[in-house]
Amino acid sequence: MEKPKKTRRMSEKKSTALSAYVFISPFFILFAVFGLFPMIFSFYLSFFRWDGLAPMEFTGWRNFQFIFSDPVFYSSIKNTFLIGIMGTAPQIVAALFLAFALNSQLIRFRNTFRTMVFLPYITSIVAVAIIFGVVFNNQPFGFANYFLSLFDISPIRWNAEYWPVKIAIATMVFWRWVGYNTIIFLAGMQSIPKELYEAAKIDGATVFQQIRLITIPMLKPIIMFVVFTATIGSFQLFTEPLIFLGRGLREEGITIVAYLWRDAFIYNSFGTASAAAIVLFFIIITLTAVNLLITNRIGRSKNLG
Amino acid sequence: MSKFLKLAGVSVLSVSLMAACGGDESSDAATNGGNNNNEDNSNSDTTEETIGDGDIELVFWEFGNTGYDKLIEEYVADNPHVSINLQNSDMNDMHDNLFTSISAGTGAPDITMIEEAQIERYRNAEDAFTNLYDHGASDVEGEFLEWVWKNGENAEGNFLFGLPTDIGPTVMFYRTDVFEEAGFDSSPEAVSELVKTWDDFESVAKEIYEATGKQMTDAGELVYNARRDQSTEQYFSPDGELIIEEHNQIKDAYEYTSSLLNEGLVGDIPLWTPEWFAGMGDGTYATMLAPAWMQGVIKDNEPEEGVWSITTMPEGAGNWGGSYLAVPAESENPEEAYKFIEWLTAPEQQLKAFQGYGLFPSAPAVYDMPEFKEYEDEYFGGIATAQVFSEAAQAVEPVFKGSLYYPVDDEVKQAIDDVAGGAEPQGAWEEAIERIKRIIER
Repeated sequence: MEKPKKTRRMSEKKSTALSAYVFISPFFILFAVFGLFPMIFSFYLSFFRWDGLAPMEFTGWRNFQFIFSDPVFYSSIKNTFLIGIMGTAPQIVAALFLAFALNSQLIRFRNTFRTMVFLPYITSIVAVAIIFGVVFNNQPFGFANYFLSLFDISPIRWNAEYWPVKIAIATMVFWRWVGYNTIIFLAGMQSIPKELYEAAKIDGATVFQQIRLITIPMLKPIIMFVVFTATIGSFQLFTEPLIFLGRGLREEGITIVAYLWRDAFIYNSFGTASAAAIVLFFIIITLTAVNLLITNRIGRSKNLG
Repeated sequence: MSKFLKLAGVSVLSVSLMAACGGDESSDAATNGGNNNNEDNSNSDTTEETIGDGDIELVFWEFGNTGYDKLIEEYVADNPHVSINLQNSDMNDMHDNLFTSISAGTGAPDITMIEEAQIERYRNAEDAFTNLYDHGASDVEGEFLEWVWKNGENAEGNFLFGLPTDIGPTVMFYRTDVFEEAGFDSSPEAVSELVKTWDDFESVAKEIYEATGKQMTDAGELVYNARRDQSTEQYFSPDGELIIEEHNQIKDAYEYTSSLLNEGLVGDIPLWTPEWFAGMGDGTYATMLAPAWMQGVIKDNEPEEGVWSITTMPEGAGNWGGSYLAVPAESENPEEAYKFIEWLTAPEQQLKAFQGYGLFPSAPAVYDMPEFKEYEDEYFGGIATAQVFSEAAQAVEPVFKGSLYYPVDDEVKQAIDDVAGGAEPQGAWEEAIERIKRIIER
């Protein structure tokens, strides 16, 4: 009967291990409850027809057949890509220049400008909606329409026409996220040694040459990070189209997340909503894989720190 | 080890509490202001208050500014065995929470307020609610307007979801100055006589446009709503079949709206936009076909008295807004809950709710009460406004809506919006029908 002794010693070891697990458990418990379970349940739900109240009814692949035969679903994918590119690409370029300017020694009140450029990110989305509702107003006196009228362009229905909707939403995305990315770039730029710029200046390099030959190459990992977070973020685009278009969500501006949200919470069709979520899941997985592939390749080919 | 567990337990708890407190900020008050029958729904904070100290506690979810706390105080004073925990939250949040708790089968209150448009969402969930007929609701049926009562029933008429509180009968608000400028007599009687039918509405619109250059009304949406609400058949039949193409009433309403839009007689000013609010004060449009609760909105945007007045709408009336009180099936005290809501929706209490917060009563007995009848509003030229609204309330036709009523309605609205943007009406209609069929197929 030596057993008790042995188990006690074991349990001490175990208890250390256990306490470690217990300490990291909050994340895992929360992730299981709010992340893992809903994810698995969506997979399950995508094979059922369910209105949220009545019993679920197994329908096999019907939900997928439905969404793949729905032209609005294709529009939503297309819109997501288009708005994503229109909102992200110019934003990264602009953020890069803004960050360069804020990093420059020539600008006074740099901290004030840094705060100001970050402000849109923390602005209440409802306030953003009101402001952009005024800017992209359908009436001739709306800000954007008034501006265009100076060039003899007749009033545009910003919330209903194919390209204008996308431009309006992309502008909102641009405005809201440019400051965030600027700050990330700025952090990256501050880690670039000043000597490089000084040397370049002595050699007579212009500002643009400095950006092209020093800043951008040194910033490559950060640029990669921003590009990929922005692309994946743009796939989750939801609030902007919702507040700009209202709960009706016209086909011209609907995004994938907005599409599945509308299915679930307006049409009470949780099955098709889950099916759309699964499709989105695979799109994002694919993009992340591409992301990893590219970053790995960059990491291997050059020594970047 | 137990110390570790305790510590860990506490940290898990606090983290999950923090997570639970993170609210959803994206409630789109601006786009949904229309579904609220109270004037202020911008406050999304949840407030909670327990009134009375009886042993039987009833949890009561409400939204908007109802002033029910005052009435509850009266009730618990007379019924000391009951206490009521009143929780007020944002309208959309409250309905979403109710949907989630019913779907999960736990967490629903003893009494919940349900907005008239949102009740359609719960239509298929009879199991989740107490049939108020089982508690003697048929005894009070006669106290309410027939169409309001019917809307709280299931299609067969043997299950009652809720007792009606207030309603939103629609009338025609009009600007006296624009009517005078166009050479019309602007008294409510004269305008009511002048715009008796929808054809009159169109011809008056033309005259006003020629004389003043102003448009008859704000947007196609409210014209369409007015005509839609006067239809005896709308989108669905009581057995849930889509009948939008089986009869002409909806198509007629749509075509009427489109033709007014094409003639340029109706504005293209969407509801709840800044220019729509501004238009009320500037007189950009001559009339607004809107419910009783719109009075407050108009008063906020046109401070001058006597500019706006009220008269009946051509060819009848409609309803927009109002609420019901329901008892979810989970309630442990359905009997007490029912007793309370029966009391709260009785005519005497409805009069008080009207006097306090302008909730328009659904019980016609109130319309004959002198305090209600003699209520005059200086702002609208000193006319007995309550009477105009009560006439409208009695003219509403009962109609079956169905659980997908509002998604379908949104698609028709989108077609109207397309027409306003220059699309060809027939094509826009066909596209809307396509979209509607896809919604139903889901």
